[in-house]
Formats: sequence, C-alpha cells, structure tokens
Amino acid sequence: MATPANAILVPATQRGSYNPNRPAGLLLRSQTLHIREALLKHLEELAAVLAIDPKSLKTEGEVSAYIHRATAILHTHAAKPARK
Amino acid sequence: MPAGLDNLKHIVVLMMENRSFDHMLGGLSLVIENGQKKYPNINGLTGNESNPDTQGAIVRVQPNAKFQGQLDPDPDHHFPGVDLQIFGGAPPGPGRVPNMQGFVKDYFTQTNDVNRSHNIMYYFTPDKLPVLSTLATQFALFNGWFSSIPGPTICNRAFAHYGTSFGQVGMDLFYILDTAILSTYERIIQAGHTAKIYYYDQQSSTMEIVNLLKNQPQIFGSYQQFIADCASNQLPEYSFIEPCYNDHPGPGGGEILASDQHPDHNIQEGERFIANIYTAIRTNPALWSSTLLLIVYDEHGGIYDHVPPPACTPDGYFANPADTGTGETFNFDRLGVRVPAIAVSPYIAKGTVIPGPEDPANCRIFEHACIPATVTNFFLKGDAKQTPREKQANTFLDLLSDQLRPDADIPFFKLGGS
Repeated sequence: MATPANAILVPATQRGSYNPNRPAGLLLRSQTLHIREALLKHLEELAAVLAIDPKSLKTEGEVSAYIHRATAILHTHAAKPARK
Repeated sequence: MPAGLDNLKHIVVLMMENRSFDHMLGGLSLVIENGQKKYPNINGLTGNESNPDTQGAIVRVQPNAKFQGQLDPDPDHHFPGVDLQIFGGAPPGPGRVPNMQGFVKDYFTQTNDVNRSHNIMYYFTPDKLPVLSTLATQFALFNGWFSSIPGPTICNRAFAHYGTSFGQVGMDLFYILDTAILSTYERIIQAGHTAKIYYYDQQSSTMEIVNLLKNQPQIFGSYQQFIADCASNQLPEYSFIEPCYNDHPGPGGGEILASDQHPDHNIQEGERFIANIYTAIRTNPALWSSTLLLIVYDEHGGIYDHVPPPACTPDGYFANPADTGTGETFNFDRLGVRVPAIAVSPYIAKGTVIPGPEDPANCRIFEHACIPATVTNFFLKGDAKQTPREKQANTFLDLLSDQLRPDADIPFFKLGGS
C-alpha cells in the first residue's frame, strides 16, 4: 500500500481550465456527425416498431417479440453521467 | 509460461489523444543523476533537435510546454500536414526520406505567426507530468510505438479496434464493407469471452467509428461502470477506455473537464485521469496481479517527434490522391509519428525499455494493430480473422515476467485537491 516512499503526488488541475465555451475542434465536430449517423438506426427501428399495430398481436410469442423491440428502444444501455 | 502470463486475466487499453513521444516523454533522456543520464535506454531528446521555421531560422526543442493555452489553434494532424511534418516539404514521390523537419513550417499554416509556430517544438520536463513519467520509468516504455497512419484520430483509432482503417486516412464517416473483418470486441465476444469499450459519460461518448455504436450498443459502458467493475471484480477480459473529450457541466452544476489531453485541453486533467485508471486497478489486489494496462496515444497531434516513422506492411487497402490530399496514393505502407506507449503490470520489471529504431539489432516496432493482435492472440489463442497488419504485428505480453514485484516497490498516486 501507499508509503511515503512510493506515493506520487498528482497536482490538482489548474483553476480556470474549464471552458465549455471553447470552440469545438474538428474532432468533436466529426464526432457529432458520427453520433447522428448512429441515431438513424434508432429512428429506423422506432419507425418499424411503431408501424406494428399492437391489436394485431395474437400470441404470447408475438407480444413478447414486440415488447422486446420496444423495450430495447426505451431502455438503452447507457449509464448515468459520471460524477467527478 | 512466466507467472505473469499465467496469471493474466485482463488486458486494459487506455487510449489518449494527440501528443507525441518527445513532447510528453522526450525530456526523460535529459535527466541527469550523478553526472550520468538517469534513463540511458530511453530514446528521447538530446536537446539539439531542431526544425527550420518559415523564415529559415533554426528552432530547437525547448522544455517550455505548458499544460494549456499554448497549442491553440490545434496543430495540423491531417494527412497532408503530417506528410509535410515528416518529409519537411519534399514533394511526394519515390525516394523521399523522412527527416521530421516540417513541424514548425506546418504549424505556421495554423498560427500565421512565426514565434507561435515554434511552440510545436516544446516538450514537458518529467516533473510536469508526474503520472506519465512515473509509469514510463517504473514499468515498460516503448521506444518504437507509432501511430498506425500519418493522419488524424478516427482512422488511427480504427486500427486499435479493427487492425485496419479500411482504407481511410481521415475523419470522415465510413462504413465497413468488408464484413470479414470484425472488431476485436466482436471476435472476443463471439468466442465466448468478454470485452467492453468504456467511454467517459454520455456527454463525451465514444470516438469509435459508427459501426460499433450503431450495431453493438451492448459492448459499451461508462467510466463510472469501469470503476465499479474494477472494484467488484467484474472487469471484462478486454477493456478499452476512452477519456473525456470535452468540457461540460457535471451533475448538480459541477465542472467536468476534458481529460483526453487533446490540444488545447489541460494536460493535468489527463494526468489525473490516467492516475485514476491506474488506481482503480492498483487498489484491487486480485485485479492488479492479473491485469496488464496499456496506456497509448492515438496519434501525435501535429507535435514534434524526432524519430522518422518506419515503413510497414501494407494492409491491402489504398487511399486515393483525393483522400490523401498530397496528390499521391497512399498504400498504408508507412506508419504515423511516434506516440507515448507504456505497459503496466506488477510482473513488468522496473525501468523496462523496449528498443525501437535507435537500436537496429534489437528494434521492435509497435503500432495500434498490435493491440488487436495481442488481445486476440492471448484470449483466442490464435485468430484466423486477423488483418494483414495484425498478422505482422509485434505483441507485447512477453513483457510479463515470472517475478511479482513487491507492493512497496510499486507507486501509488495521491491526487491533490483543488
């Protein structure tokens, strides 16, 4: 475990570094295009699920398949924002 | 089999952004102790490296790098700019020799200011980077780890995920048409193993190219989950970690700083992020003794390095002149600029340096395709789906020895408060 001999102090980040108003660089602007493209998949899937008339579902298998697709859209894997 | 390899259960890769080897670690070669170089095997700076500026003046490397505010505008690191950096402005064509003489000239194209263009030659002294410098000297430092392409982020990160960029040399969206090539994560999961890409949070998300995000959302997790998975012994066999890519508000009005070290984000925040990843592994004894952590940068970000990138095995694709912007086709037969890369494990001998081009007899060249090559060789015991570059790639698990270093010999990081 940590002892004075093997402990390395890591300074705090300089105050004033935070700047959400910094102009976004090419990397971040490219990332938004990539993310938008990935969103289209969800749009297509959402449209496909909404096109199904729930009243047309007769069996438990059909219902479970419908709920599965809907829940996958509603409950994404994404985690909560990290806390600092 | 060495005990370190025998005990290995997890490989964790942390990929940072846009800093060159010399900029971050080149200063280690200038550390003198008892009248001698303290780290003689590290291929860093002598202090005499230079570039001409646009006025013809010689600009030497200087230990003047700042944590923030010095590389704004963002140095050019796109294909034509990197070509200028590497070849010094010699026109494309056969027989060109890389001389690393075009960095200052290229940064002038961003700054339009001769004095500011000199900033591209600045490097950090080791005391400024206690985390990276400590890990580099306490574990294994690669003298010859290069970005996979002399170009920007997305195509280089693709090599880390797929072992190829599918012919891309830029930042454009692209779709994987060669479905025979799977990502490392897909290969591992299909074989019944576990893998995850941890991105920082929803506001930062991932730089992975669209394909995985679009089709395999289940392989993604957050940094918060990585920390929890480390503590609960739930870490997958292979983990790839992405830092925070932008400044944004945190929960309850807090401030989340970018930790990727991409210019002009604060270097110190990246240091703390690296320390946190290390600490999450280090403080779980079972995980610490069974994990290899690789810290590597995706590309050099346009910042000076003195080692010419070597030629490499073509990966079967080519980029058209319209895409390279140089007027020449690129056959993926040369690597990009050298980047920092450090392997961490208690089974790695203190002060290990893996020789690079400075030692032709023992040289081992690494690039990002070495990541999927190493991971799939180990977890899949040979992988028929490896790309040409992976098949030729060096792997790095031979760094793991038989000797588990004593705990007191291994550093801890104490994060100072604000």
